[in-house]
Amino acid sequence: MDSEKIIEIRNLNKTYKDVHAVRDLSFSVRKGELFAFLGVNGAGKSTTISIMCGKISKDSGSVIINGADADGAPARIKSSLGVVFQNSALDKHLTVYDNLQSRAALYGITGDNFKARFKELSELLHFADLSKRSLGKLSGGQRRRIDIARALVHKPEILILDEPTTGLDPQTRKLLWQVVSDLREREGLTVFLTTHYMEEAADADYVVILDGGKKVAEGTPLELKNAYTHDYINVYGGDTAKLTALGYPCREVGGAVRISVPDTAHAAALIAEHRELFTDFEIFKGNMDDVFLAVTGKELTGGEAL
Amino acid sequence: MSTFLYLTKRNIKLFLKDKGMVFTSLITPLILLVLFATFLANVYRDTFKQNLPEGFEVSDKIISGLVGGELCSSLIAVSCVTVAFCANFLMVQDKVNGARDDLLTSPVKQSTLALAYYAATVISTLVICLIATALCFVYLAITGWFLTFADVMLILSDVVILTLFGTVLSAIINTFLSSQGQITAVGTIVSAGYGFICGAYMPLSQFGAVVRNAVMFLPGTYGTSLVRNHMMGGVFKEMTDIGFPAEVVKGISDSVDCNLYFFDKSVSIGVMYAVMLAAVALLVGVYVAINFIRGKKAK
Repeated sequence: MDSEKIIEIRNLNKTYKDVHAVRDLSFSVRKGELFAFLGVNGAGKSTTISIMCGKISKDSGSVIINGADADGAPARIKSSLGVVFQNSALDKHLTVYDNLQSRAALYGITGDNFKARFKELSELLHFADLSKRSLGKLSGGQRRRIDIARALVHKPEILILDEPTTGLDPQTRKLLWQVVSDLREREGLTVFLTTHYMEEAADADYVVILDGGKKVAEGTPLELKNAYTHDYINVYGGDTAKLTALGYPCREVGGAVRISVPDTAHAAALIAEHRELFTDFEIFKGNMDDVFLAVTGKELTGGEAL
Repeated sequence: MSTFLYLTKRNIKLFLKDKGMVFTSLITPLILLVLFATFLANVYRDTFKQNLPEGFEVSDKIISGLVGGELCSSLIAVSCVTVAFCANFLMVQDKVNGARDDLLTSPVKQSTLALAYYAATVISTLVICLIATALCFVYLAITGWFLTFADVMLILSDVVILTLFGTVLSAIINTFLSSQGQITAVGTIVSAGYGFICGAYMPLSQFGAVVRNAVMFLPGTYGTSLVRNHMMGGVFKEMTDIGFPAEVVKGISDSVDCNLYFFDKSVSIGVMYAVMLAAVALLVGVYVAINFIRGKKAK
């Protein structure tokens, strides 16, 4: 295995009765990167994560995480992973301290070792003042911080974030990403993200898009945008008729005329050739929503495929 | 080992902090108390008096001892099982709310999880049932105390055996549940039904022959009878000591299921213990086998 690769999945297959949930899936994740795993509900994301976590078995293929094979050393893999579920899986009737104490014990972290780790996490995630409060009485953002603390309690090398921001308000989403970003910087954590928010995927180092259990595209966000979307020129105060006459797809968007061009080179050439039409403009690439739509023919909006 | 202890502690805390679950587990004993206060006490009292030959005078203390003994034994026999079911519903709730998925992302073994649920349910059930037993003792001390120290110890051991039985029975059934609706359905069926089929709400002697013989195949029946024997043995001894004919005492014993008959063959106390302990051992074996098979399937 490449020493840089912390997750390596090859030819993974999983079938539930007559549903082929994962089809010959192969991808790898490099150590320390933010990896985004995209797909509509039922695309095979959760099945893949469940196989990685050892929750369900695979039909065929190989799963190697942190140098350990899922078939031979599931316990070693589980010790390498921390998982933040979409919905908090902690005990609402227990205090923050009791929750983390019981979860830390699953990894053999007890007594003074746990107290020290609790202190570290409460400082890192700013929840020292919440330790005696029941989880059920915390706000959504506070609870999310405890979920992350639970996932990190055993110092995993890979943090799996399974739609971590779905249903959270923008402020809490921002807070969560700030925490994750700090963790990546401080601890060199590898982050495996599934999300329905394309702007989150745009910040990833590498993206894999699934559809119907199959990998349909992969690459850095830039590579994906270059491969699957156009560049756009927004022209403000321009002559719509003349701009339309240039022969590129045009439409009016928010007071500007948006011209779709194949790539940045085309945009630059077009502007140089028709300077008189481009006095106030901006060039930008298509976004990850465009990539997803182009690749799957579906839109991802808050968890539902359109 | 520490993982098991912390998981057990977590499970106990979750049960005791969930007021809804604790209340649900106490519904059956509460129903029994309400039934007793409204009409069962009089039914029991009349039953005893009917079994007395004409001309026999019985003190109120003895009647109260008999009535109290029957009530308390019913209450304890039912509670040990129904409380165990409610406490053990935690293993289903963990599936419903995703906590089990979270626990299983760790390297903890499924067998450790299963054992921690079992241990926590035994402890939670024992705590509640021993408190209930203590309250029963207080009640008997006020109305008519005929228990010896040995009786008290035997009653406590009955509570332990019935708790082990209720816990493993609930563990097996709960293994197959995975939704809140199923929890409610099973909880209702057990709360309402177990008291009848174990002879706690109504003595088996009042059932028809077919039902009476059928429930003799259920271990819970023997558990109820054990508690009843130990709760009422002192009263029967007192009755014998003050000159009640043996057949009268036997008649009353039969009417309250202190004497069990398996197809007309009398079942001794020793056999009752053997049935209960064998049932616990067998069910533990089944529970372990189920977990083993499910663990293999998951792999």
